[in-house]
Amino acid sequence: MEPKYVIGIDLGTTNSALAYAEIRPDADPFAAAKVQLLGIPQLVNAGEVRDEDLLPSFLYLPGPSDFPEGTIALPWDAGRGYVAGRLAQKRGVENAGRLVSSAKSWLSHSGVDRTAALLPFRAPQGVETISPVEASRRYLAYLREAWDHRMPEAPFTAQQVLVTVPASFDAVARELTLEAAKQAGYENMALLEEPQAAFYAWIERHPDWRERVEVGDLILVVDIGGGTTDFTLIAVTESAGELGLNRVAVGEHILLGGDNIDLALAGVVSQRLAEKGTRIDTRQLQQLWANCRVAKEKLLEPGSKAKEQPVTVLGKGTGLVGGTIKAALLRSDIEEVLAGGFLPLGPSTQMPAQQRRMALQELGLPYAADAAITRHMARFLRQQEATSEHGAVRRGASGLACPTHVLFNGGVLNAGLVRDRILETLNSWLAEEGMRAVRALSGEDLMHAVSRGAAYYGLARRGRGVRIHGGVPRSYYVGVESAMPSVPGFPAPLKALTVVPFGMEEGTEVRIPGREFGLIVGQPAEFRFFTSAARKNDEPGDLIEDIGDELSELAPMEVAFDTGEKSSEIVPVAFETVVTETGVLQLWCVARDGRRWKLEFNVRERVQA
Amino acid sequence: MSRLVLAFRCFFNILFHGALSDGALTELHLSRREAAAPKAAAAAAPAAARPPSDGALQILGILQRDSRLVDFLMEDIAAYSDDQVGAAVREMHDQCRDSLRRYMTLQPVIDGVEGTFAKAPASDPNAVKFIGNVPATPPSGGTLRHKGWRAAKIDLPTVAARQDVSVIAPAEIEIE
Repeated sequence: MEPKYVIGIDLGTTNSALAYAEIRPDADPFAAAKVQLLGIPQLVNAGEVRDEDLLPSFLYLPGPSDFPEGTIALPWDAGRGYVAGRLAQKRGVENAGRLVSSAKSWLSHSGVDRTAALLPFRAPQGVETISPVEASRRYLAYLREAWDHRMPEAPFTAQQVLVTVPASFDAVARELTLEAAKQAGYENMALLEEPQAAFYAWIERHPDWRERVEVGDLILVVDIGGGTTDFTLIAVTESAGELGLNRVAVGEHILLGGDNIDLALAGVVSQRLAEKGTRIDTRQLQQLWANCRVAKEKLLEPGSKAKEQPVTVLGKGTGLVGGTIKAALLRSDIEEVLAGGFLPLGPSTQMPAQQRRMALQELGLPYAADAAITRHMARFLRQQEATSEHGAVRRGASGLACPTHVLFNGGVLNAGLVRDRILETLNSWLAEEGMRAVRALSGEDLMHAVSRGAAYYGLARRGRGVRIHGGVPRSYYVGVESAMPSVPGFPAPLKALTVVPFGMEEGTEVRIPGREFGLIVGQPAEFRFFTSAARKNDEPGDLIEDIGDELSELAPMEVAFDTGEKSSEIVPVAFETVVTETGVLQLWCVARDGRRWKLEFNVRERVQA
Repeated sequence: MSRLVLAFRCFFNILFHGALSDGALTELHLSRREAAAPKAAAAAAPAAARPPSDGALQILGILQRDSRLVDFLMEDIAAYSDDQVGAAVREMHDQCRDSLRRYMTLQPVIDGVEGTFAKAPASDPNAVKFIGNVPATPPSGGTLRHKGWRAAKIDLPTVAARQDVSVIAPAEIEIE
């Protein structure tokens, strides 16, 4: 069955969305794409299903005393045993022990076994737990069901589906996302990077985009979501007389986002209350957090002149007026929190504080050690110093990548104050490099741009509209032990063999030259696996002598033998890398006689930091 | 001010009698037939015949859940300063209005400007109340004093079979 629609799914850390566009085979290729959002039916209160255009990415795993019988039924499933979306988020505030949240951040956390049932994090004994992969599967399955419920004449599995992932997701996190989608019954699907999707959304909104940028321009996409921050550089190029777009760099995974800013504001207000002798408990802090977000948005509305906005926490128990706590969020609070914490102005040479490296780090999400988004941006632009023709970017005198345009994405960047601070910082750096100031590309609808852009990209893949080229956004390495006489007490030094070069295109494969390994068929063989977003010049087969800070280790890979395949034969094999059309990375061991064995990620083993 | 009084009367009616009094209904320009057969109740009908007061309890439960209106009405606020009451009311007023708007579509009976001349639509004592020096045969119009409110649409969620709507708000027990 030919797909009738392309469906773009933004599987977000805190909110998910689904957009779609109709595929019209003989339509004018320059006509507007008409991307629409799907209202997602979800429980908003016990016993009440309503359409909302965002599905909060929360799961609540209820016990017998949580909801009256029959009140968490879905229109398409009367016996659903868990709650997804708005109601899950609401109930989770009251009982966090049964709430699954930030599953996406867990999915990209290489320090834990992501297929193990570890969510809800800190679930009390006896409460059902699920794995980050399973949580993602449930969100994706929910969206599929919602689509089938709303669009019964166009079954989901028959449509072309694009699921977005952060550009900073490494190969393992991408593979796990794909795995979750497969388990959720997705058939015809591909992955797309979120900042690219945001840029597609901008193109969708501006059919005349070719007049707004020119060859040589460099566009910085700043994507600040609820829980993550992502940077991407897209270069405007020319090929065969046509403007082209080339994604030339992506940043590292930064667990830091708008929720952190709101929580910091709630902290400022609760601190001020504490000084006056009013203490608030955890639940009141949740209310304060939500109210600070609303107050912040009101203060930062375009044209708002208000110096402060009241923030109220209502009394507990049946006494409402009596226990009401009054406070105010000041405009200066926001300015201080941004200037002092999240968006400090500073030189482009100031790098973020290093990640804490403690021997016994508490198990949990590896939040960014430095909250300064501007310093993370500085590091990202500095990392582009080493470039090849793959990722050639416009650079200033000191080697700093110098964008000409900025595209903002994510709810936080609705606030002009936040955008202005980023622009101000960026422009001060550019002035130092002797470059002209950046121009902001006006994006709208920052909450839904990613899903809309994904749907547009779905059309572009079918030959309608422009496609951003980029390939694999980082390089990958396999650890090989150097052939040196062993010294007691010292492990043999490890070198890294480049197996995937930066920018390797989808639908291509490469044989790694120059190195063969003896593989014993049927016996487990494991390889350490590394990645880097900063090293862009390494070619397949290059050996890195010193695995320094630039390489970070991922889950190990092991050879997948067919069951029963066993012999004592030692086969010399070389590595072969394949990047599939869907953007999935595959590594193979290939023997001279053509036999091949795939390498699979082993996420079950804990990675040693 | 009379609107506030009317609002309070309605809530106490519902709270203590489970239904609006005839007087309140007239003030609201509602008829019983309308109040007793909202869309949602009709949809729920096959599951079990639910008493007509359920819709009223349900809306009260919703207003308590979303804006804690019952807590506010049942609280003795005499002792608190206007400042304190004001802060609490501001917080709940928004939420209360939001949920009222979500579950009911309220429209003025006469969409005019209060204090100016308005034509009376039809002589229906449900919809128009003449006040002041009313002649024996009411005229076709006069000065609009109150636009009136009409529930144009009620859209309450279906009540599940095991849901007890007489519980306006569940008791909360925290485990520390």
